[in-house]
This record gives sequence, C-alpha cells and structure tokens, in this order.
Amino acid sequence: MAQNVPPGTVAASDSNKNNNERAIAGRDSHSVSKRLQHELMTLMISMDKGISAFPDGDNLFKWVGTLTGPASTVYEGLSYRLSLEFPSSYPYAAPTVKFITSCFHPNVDLHGNICLDILKEKWSASYDVRAILLSIQSLLGEPNNDSPLNGHAAELWANQVAYKKHLLEHYKKANGESK
Amino acid sequence: MAAGKQCDSKQQWEVIKKSFFIEGNLSDISDGEDDLALVIRLVQQLGAGQLVLDLALDAIWVALRQSIVPKFWSNFVIYNSQRCGKDDDPGEGSVEVMSRVATAISELYDSAVSFLPQIHRCEMLCEHSGAKFEECIPGGMMEHFKLHLRATLHSQMPTSFTNLLHKFYSAAFKVFYHAEVGNQVEESDETTDEAMQCGGCDAATDACHCQAITNTFCQVNRQLLELDLLERLAGDIISSLLLSVITDHVSATCRDSYDQSRISQLEKWVENVVIGWLEVVYCGGRGQLSSADSAIQTMVANNLNQTYMTALYHTYTTTRIDQLFNIVIEYPESQPALEDIRECLDRTHLRNHLVESLRSAIQTRLLHPGVNTTDVLHAYISAIKALRVLDPKGVLLELVSEPVRQYLRGREDTVRYIVTSLTDESCSELSEELLVAAPLVLDDSHSDDDNMDFWETWTPDPRTADIISMLVNIYGSKDVFITEYRTILADRILSQFSYDTEREIRYLEHLKCEVMVKDVADSKRINSSINSDENPRREKQKFPVSCMILSAQFWPSFKEERLQLPEEVMKELDTYTEAFQDLKGNRTLNWKPHLGQVQVEIELKNRTLNLTVTPTQATVIYHFQERSRWSIGDLSTITQENFPCPCQGVLQEVESDVFVLVEGEELGDKGHTATVGVSQPDIAPPAIEEDEAESVMASAQDQREEELQVFWSYIVGMLTNLDSLPLERIHAMLKMFVQGSVECSPQELRAFLDRKVRQHQLIFTNGLYKLPKN
Repeated sequence: MAQNVPPGTVAASDSNKNNNERAIAGRDSHSVSKRLQHELMTLMISMDKGISAFPDGDNLFKWVGTLTGPASTVYEGLSYRLSLEFPSSYPYAAPTVKFITSCFHPNVDLHGNICLDILKEKWSASYDVRAILLSIQSLLGEPNNDSPLNGHAAELWANQVAYKKHLLEHYKKANGESK
Repeated sequence: MAAGKQCDSKQQWEVIKKSFFIEGNLSDISDGEDDLALVIRLVQQLGAGQLVLDLALDAIWVALRQSIVPKFWSNFVIYNSQRCGKDDDPGEGSVEVMSRVATAISELYDSAVSFLPQIHRCEMLCEHSGAKFEECIPGGMMEHFKLHLRATLHSQMPTSFTNLLHKFYSAAFKVFYHAEVGNQVEESDETTDEAMQCGGCDAATDACHCQAITNTFCQVNRQLLELDLLERLAGDIISSLLLSVITDHVSATCRDSYDQSRISQLEKWVENVVIGWLEVVYCGGRGQLSSADSAIQTMVANNLNQTYMTALYHTYTTTRIDQLFNIVIEYPESQPALEDIRECLDRTHLRNHLVESLRSAIQTRLLHPGVNTTDVLHAYISAIKALRVLDPKGVLLELVSEPVRQYLRGREDTVRYIVTSLTDESCSELSEELLVAAPLVLDDSHSDDDNMDFWETWTPDPRTADIISMLVNIYGSKDVFITEYRTILADRILSQFSYDTEREIRYLEHLKCEVMVKDVADSKRINSSINSDENPRREKQKFPVSCMILSAQFWPSFKEERLQLPEEVMKELDTYTEAFQDLKGNRTLNWKPHLGQVQVEIELKNRTLNLTVTPTQATVIYHFQERSRWSIGDLSTITQENFPCPCQGVLQEVESDVFVLVEGEELGDKGHTATVGVSQPDIAPPAIEEDEAESVMASAQDQREEELQVFWSYIVGMLTNLDSLPLERIHAMLKMFVQGSVECSPQELRAFLDRKVRQHQLIFTNGLYKLPKN
C-alpha cells in the first residue's frame, strides 16, 4: 500500500467509504469534469496505436473505448469495444470498465467484467484512461491464469493453437451477434 | 296721414335701396355725392344705419358669391370641359393659356373694381351713421371686401384651376429663365441648336412672343397683387417653379464631376434667379426691386434666405450624398466636392441621411464576394481619407466604416494584404502613409471629461483616423496583425538576406517586433567575427558561410522541410556551428537548410555561370556533379525534398521527369563551388525562374490548419469509438470536449472534413462521417 493514494481514500474504512465519496463528489464535480477533459486531450494528442476512447454522447462521465489486440499475440488484429464509467469521486475511485464486445479471455467473464488489480484494490489517482486501456491491452496477451474468471479460457491458454481457433470462432460469433 | 306716411317711407326705402344697391342691381349705378349725402342723412333720421349697412354689404357678398366668382371660375371650368377627354397636352399653346388666364383675371379685376364706389358709400355710411361692420377683421372696409373675395374664391375653386395657373406661370417662368440664362452666359451651343426656336416660348424665332407673354404676365400679376390674391392663388406655384428649377440646375451642375467646388457658384446662381423671378412677379420687371415697397423687399429677402438657400443646400447635399460612394472612391480628386458637402452639412440636417446612404451604398457596391480584398481595402482607405475631410472629428468615419471593418475581418487574406502593402515599397500609398504616420495609437479615446464648464460647446473627442491605426484596428487588437506582420517580415529578411534594417526598423517602431530586428543586427556582428581572419578555422573553409541567426521564440513558425544538403556543405555548416558555440558558450545553432541563398559558380564547357539560387536549387545542381542525368524520384530521395525544383536555364528535361545538365557532358570533373553567402547586388540571377515564390513562413492559414489538426485527432477519437456521426454531432462534441476550444464554424468544419474525405482519410455516407476500415 505504498502508493500515492490521496489521504481521503486511504483513511476511509469500508464502513464510511460511501459517505466519503459523496463528500468528495459534492465538493467539486467541476474539477472532475476538468480532469476528464484533460485526460481526453492527452489521449487524443498522444494518438497511441491500438487504444482509443471518447465520451459517449454528451456525458463526460461515460466513455466508449476501443482497443486492438497487441501484436504477436493470439489477439492480434482483433478489436474490442469497452465501456468506461467514471464515478463522481473520480480519480479517487476507479472507473468501472467492462468489455462491450464479448471477449474470450481467462480474466474476463461472460458479462464483460474484467479482473484487473489496478481497477480494484490497486487503483491509484495517478492512473488515467490511457493507463487503464494500455493495461487492459497488455492483459490480453498476458493473462493471469491463477485467478481466472473464465476457467475454460484459462485451461485452454496453454495450447495457443487451439486457443486461437476457439478465440476466433468466439470473436466471429460475438461480432455476428452484435450486427 | 297714415297712408301718406306709409307712402313716404316706401319712397324713402326705395331711395335707400337704390343708393346702396340693396336687392342688388349692380348695373344700376347712380352716382353723385349730393345724392349720397341726402340719403345718408335720411338713414340717419330713420336710425337705420346698421340695418342699411348690413343689407348693403350682404348684397355685395351675394353678388360675389352668385355672379362674379362663378363667372370667374367658369372660365376655367369651360376650359377644362373642352379639354376633357384629351390627354393633358403639355405643348398646348402657351398663348392660349396665357390669354385665357389673363382674360379671366382682368374680368375679375374689373368686376372687383366696379364695387369700389359701393364700398366707398358704405364707408361713408359707417362714418356718418356710426354703423359698424364685423369688428373682428382688422383693416378698413376695403380689406374686408378683399377678404370676402378671397374666401368666396377659395370656396368655389375648381380643381383644374391649379393646373392651368401652373401652366400659365410655367410658361412665364420659362420665358424669364430663358432670358436670364441668356443674360448670364452666352451659350453658343444652345443658340445654334435651337436657332429655329425661341427657347423661351417654343415658337419659331421669328414669331417669338416672349414679350407678349411677359406683358400679359405682368398685367395679371399686378391685378392679382392689387386684389391681394397673388400670394393666395399663385404663391405655391411661384415657389414650386423655383424649387424645381433649383433641383434641376443643381443635379445638372453636379453630375459626375467632383473636382470643383460648386457651392459658391450655385449660391450666386440661386440668388440671381430667385431675385429675378420674384422681381418679375412682384414688381413687374427685372431690376425694380430697389424701387418697390419695403414690405415686398423684406419678403423677397426672407424668402431667398429661408426658403431657397435652404432648398439649395438641401438639394445639393442630397445630390452629393447620392454620389458619395463615387466621391469617396475618387478621393483625392473629389476633395472640392467633399469640402462643399462639409459646408452644407452644417446648414442642413442630413448627417444621418449621409451615414445611412453611404453605408447602404458600401453594402451593395463594395461588400460582396465579387470585389477583391484589394479593392475593398482601397475603398476603405479612401473612405478614411475622404471622411476625414468631411468630418475631422471622425464620428462619421466611425459610423460608416464599422460594417467595412467587420466585413474585412471576415476575409482571410485581409491581414496579409495589408501587411504586404505596408512593407512593399512599390505599393506607395500605404508605405507613404506609414512613413508620415504618427506612432501607432490604439484607440485611447478616454480623455478627461471632468471639465463641465464648457458642456454647451462640447464636441465628441476626435476619433483616431490615422490610416495605419485604422487598418490595424480592423482586428480590434493588434495581435493578429502583428503575428502576420512577423511572418511577412521574416519572409522579407530571409529572402533579401540583407543586413540593412533601416527601413524595417521604421516599420517595427510601429509594430514592435524588435527582437527580430535585433537578431539581424546580432547576426551581422557574429558573422563578421566568425569570418574574420583571427578565426583559426577559417583556413579550412572551402567557401564562406554567413548566416542569419534567429531567436527561436520570437520568430513565427517555419514550414517544416527536410532538405538534405550535400555532405560537403553540411561539414562547413558544422564548422560554423562550432565557431558559434565557441563564441556564445552554451548556445548552439539549429539549421534551417531550406532557407537562405546560395551563390554558385557553374563552370560549363565554354561558359561560367554565376547564379544566386535557393538552397534547394543549389543542392540539385550539386548533385549533377556526380551524375549528369537524374530523375525527379532519385533527386527526391537524395535531397529529402518532396519536389526538388530544377533550375530551368541550367537543366533540361529530356524526358518526363528526367533532367540532364545543359552541356552536361562537358561538365566533366571540373566541378563547381557552392557558396552559401551574402548576395551581391551586382549578380543578377539570369536564368533562374522563381518557382518558389510562395512564402517559406507558415502563413496564418497554415497556422489555422495546425489548429484544425488538433480537432482532427479528436475527430478520429470519436469516430473510432462511436463509429459514425453526422456533422452537427461532431461539431457539438468538439465544442463540448476540446479544451480551450478554438472557434470553428460548422461551415469551416464541413470544408475541413470534406478535405479529409478527398484525402481518403474519411468516408461520408448517408450524411454520416466515419473512418475507413483498414
């Protein structure tokens, strides 16, 4: 726990965490918008390959992200949509990130929930959208098979050829469904 | 006795009736003073003075109402019914009209005169019997009579009368005016033109009846004047004729010539014509005014000053205002006209009209897409100068020029044009202005208003009308302007490559870009130091290098180009850099290889060419040392230039996109030297075509493009994640999410997106933009 987490979150015990969040939110939701707007700018200007996100409609607190699978992994060339929802206490609380496109992956469940430490207990206010997307992108190529949300995928991972075959079928089906 | 008495009184009544025409028989005029004296005594005895007077007067009024006036009007009514059905015939003989009017009026005059004895009797009666007529009317019995006559006339006036009278006076006026013009100027043209016709009466010259008309006219006027009817019946017509001739004359005089002052000449003319005409009308002839009644003299003088001079100024100003746009454009030739207008504006209330009219003229004639920015600016400058003459306070200018400024702000090339013409010596107008201009004043119109003692004579603070300031102020702030000026100044300094900054300094004192000029001075010093004999490295140099050292922060951004110089040259530049670092300690140089000038000496078989060329051209030539034949593609790779432009006189395109050196074979291995250096004025570049006339600086437009590039990354972001969006949505989202959003209109955005579509970076279908799949 040696991260630079703001005092608010560190001091907060589980019982009064919600109160705290509300207090922070009330204090300045304006500065949250400002932070998000700034993150958007950073993201737009950096123009990283393979990751992107943008507010979905007029709501700055709800974004749509797009990432492509990292090169030289089984996910290469596949593109996934995600949703990012920012709480009003952002960046002191992590955003909720889910896959919209169904993703066959050891650490992603059938509803798109992602098991990633920086989105949970290891969240820090110094992370931003870009860091989240890059982390998820690298998670695709390097799953954590010790605590899988998708057991089938975790088992299959050892056999990359079979895994890729299944993955592509799944991907095709998922995209076929979405259309 | 009773019967006798009755008979007696009956007789008496008959006598009285007869004397005073009661139960009127006007033809039955009996005169004789004795008679009258007797009758009056009789009336006195009977104590019936008032009764008799009332009856007598009543008889006169009845006569007026029932016979005289109807008879007078019947002249005109008959005339009217005769003419009825035919079109109004303006050419109808003036003689006919004249005589008809004259007859009618003299009839009226005669009948009116025939009442005189009767009036006289009534007056006597009043005197002796103490009877009174209506008291409310001032003046004697005669005035009373005239008043009744006027009233009766007016009550029965037929509509055609004014027409006819107008014709009558017009004809007379024409005769008068013809004579007047003839007196004033001997217009030879006119006399030859209309030799067969008299200008006054339109009759053949030998049958001219001008004199007859004048005579009749004078008679009519005299009669009307005596009856006090002239002003009532014809006043309007008399003045309207004058006004219309004033209008005609003014617009004829002012037509299309603005280079002479007209107003004093016109004043004289009006005075002559007006006084002349009024003399003819009221005094019966030219030059009789001095001998006329003093009442008439004052009336004429008042009319002249109040009505006609005012009319002159008004007409003149209105005419000029209609022409004002042209006058403004033709400044300074139109200076006299402007001075006239200024004089007249003080005597009329036409300022608002002037502003409105000029604004709308400018709107319709200047501010539309068909006019070049150059022309708009020229017009703007003319307007500034012209309105400065018209109103030194500058208030008019402020009002009129606002829409122009607003319009110019909307044109993209305005700044560039202004700056170019400011700095371009050949475009004298603005440059001269710059030299005479006082230091740039940016709207400091807030002076102390504390002094309340003279509030009555307050005038608005003079607005600044210095042209340079006005031009710079088009943009409200000088920032935009200076940015562009820097760009162009940079261009000039770099393209001339001269260390002579005297002229630039003068501009910069106005526009404050000192650092750039200081850079030039510093460069001069550093160059002479590095190139001096004391520098140990100088020995090793193959050719002299001079450079212009620019402070990175203070110059506008350059167009990025990656010209790859030949290694030999690069080495020299590195040497220079080292020398610079020695000199300046912790600073270094960042070369912009595509800027500057190169003097090359090209040794060909039987000639040597000394050329001053751009670095790109020099590099291209340099590479022809190695090979005599290059294709554009190969040159591009080696120079890193997108399109290295070959020098036309030296190179020849033998086939598509492949060049050889003219007399290339003979070049052999003699080689040639390339020198980056100060241009010497005596070396004229002979055969080089200036292909690269375009600015090396990023223009304001390029900078705008950069701003749009920021938008582009956002657009890519939103389309990546949200698939496809319509224009409005993109515009709205940019507005919402781009920080410190630069203004971008939907039109501009559409143009930008359409450009991206043409570059295949976007796809546009069904009104939605999306990214191409790759």
